[in-house]
Amino acid sequence: MLLEIDNLAKSFGGVAAVDGASFGVAEGSITALIGPNGAGKTTVFNLVSGFIRPDRGAVRFAGRDIYGARGDVVARAGLVRAFQAPRVLTRMSVLENVMLGANDQPGERFGMTLVAPGRVAAREREIEARAREMLALIRLDHLVDDYAGTLSGGQRKLLEFGRALMSEPRMILLDEPMAGIAPVLGQQLLQHVQDLRARRTTVCVIEHDMDVVMSISDRVIVMDEGRVIAEGTPSEIQRDERVIEAYLGRRAPSEAL
Amino acid sequence: MDFLNPAFWTFVAVIAGIYAIMALGLYVQFSLAGLPNFGHVAFMATAAYVMAILVVRYHVPLAIASIGAIAAAVAVGLLLAGPALRLRADYLAIATIAGGEIVRYLAMNLPELTGGPIGSMGLAGPGNIAMYNQDWLALLNRLTAALSQASGHAVSRDLTMALLVWTFAGLLLLVFRRMEKSPWGRVMKAVREDETAAAAAGKNVFSFKLQALILGAILGAISGLLLAWQIGIFSPEDFQPTLTFYAYLILILGGLNRLWAIPVGAVLFSVLFSGTRLLNFFPLSLIDSGNRAFLRLFLVGFLLVLFMALRPQGLLGNRKELLLEK
Repeated sequence: MLLEIDNLAKSFGGVAAVDGASFGVAEGSITALIGPNGAGKTTVFNLVSGFIRPDRGAVRFAGRDIYGARGDVVARAGLVRAFQAPRVLTRMSVLENVMLGANDQPGERFGMTLVAPGRVAAREREIEARAREMLALIRLDHLVDDYAGTLSGGQRKLLEFGRALMSEPRMILLDEPMAGIAPVLGQQLLQHVQDLRARRTTVCVIEHDMDVVMSISDRVIVMDEGRVIAEGTPSEIQRDERVIEAYLGRRAPSEAL
Repeated sequence: MDFLNPAFWTFVAVIAGIYAIMALGLYVQFSLAGLPNFGHVAFMATAAYVMAILVVRYHVPLAIASIGAIAAAVAVGLLLAGPALRLRADYLAIATIAGGEIVRYLAMNLPELTGGPIGSMGLAGPGNIAMYNQDWLALLNRLTAALSQASGHAVSRDLTMALLVWTFAGLLLLVFRRMEKSPWGRVMKAVREDETAAAAAGKNVFSFKLQALILGAILGAISGLLLAWQIGIFSPEDFQPTLTFYAYLILILGGLNRLWAIPVGAVLFSVLFSGTRLLNFFPLSLIDSGNRAFLRLFLVGFLLVLFMALRPQGLLGNRKELLLEK
């Protein structure tokens, strides 16, 4: 397992958003995280990626303990995330947004551009070339010099996705990538996600569209009320009683006849 | 005073150069890293006082006293704003606006240490007029003599100072231009735009904010030292919170988030602010000078409002960028 989560918990003012969730994500897989609203899916992402501190539990990524680690530390360890509402840097250009995602740029250290301008410029050329390739791949290359703040919601999602991939992560967490974007862009994004699997990049995705979940994922993890209630292949999950119950509610005794 | 008096405009040029360095410090914090520092004047006041106290009371050589003064300004910055760096930007604004006033009130109310309300003159105790800038004036005189000799004209001390300040400001602007355009500047701007996104991209947000805080404090301290040397004696009155707002005005007048807007804004502001002192010609000369002073402040405010209404992006700013939401 590339990512292992054990008994993870987080409460907000007495409400247990995540209440002892445990699951693993296998390397090279597309794993979907599903569940009704309020099941704690996004909170799990926030806990794992270091944007909210867990109350207890354990998180291991690639054999390394990342429990409670800061977001930037987790990202540099190779586990990056995209947000449900895409976070782009609006008053920076589309190109700059993507270039920011690259790691190992010595020029990000203070004064390096004055001390070692050659090294910084060489790395910068590599990063820019790769950023342009990435923008061509996600088909935003006609917008390189535009402010990211002028992009549509769907384009922002693509842009954030591109930024996340710039660091060549081992794993990416996608929070509802298809929500609120034009169907054409959604299909494009879906294709990119499947291409990632071909390149052995692990994907964990929160998604509500069951057709999407069933068609792209290798494994499905179902959460309800802060816990994992089922786990299996898409076809196993479709037949699982507990899952149907979580989504549709328990039958009243009179209906059970 | 004559409107075309070169000595007056040379003095304005010196102040404009000092303000440019002051505004550059704020630029690094506010425009690059997005830290709303409303107590920038605290760095200037701290540096000026520490330098003067070290020189007058402890007879420390000026160069060493100045380095100590800059270090003290950084320490004040870390003390006042450090804890708030991890919080949302509005808390930093509150902490810094209070911090700026704390430094001024301390200077006012610790006469044994700071000379109290009479300022640097009182540093050597009652009955003695303290001077902290003899070494500086000696240096400036030597430079002036050398310049006069080299150019074959009589160069005034203020002109030497103006050249010195603007050369230094120009160098600093070039260095920071270079840094802003580098990957370091890209991360800074990302922190300004969206801390969470910057962290998600693997950047240590706190470290970058801390760097901006320290750099801004150093630049603020340098401008405070230059101001102290230029005016010769200072008191807490010279470090009113308005000085911080002048720095903001300079950034806004020139154009927000544009580095070259700093010298442009500094000159424009200084001309507006000081140039209006000279509005003593007919028909304004019919009004007595006391009322003219009020009229002048009214006019400065009015011109600024007018300018902002007609050109909200400043002289060099980008209107499209201004209208984008964070």
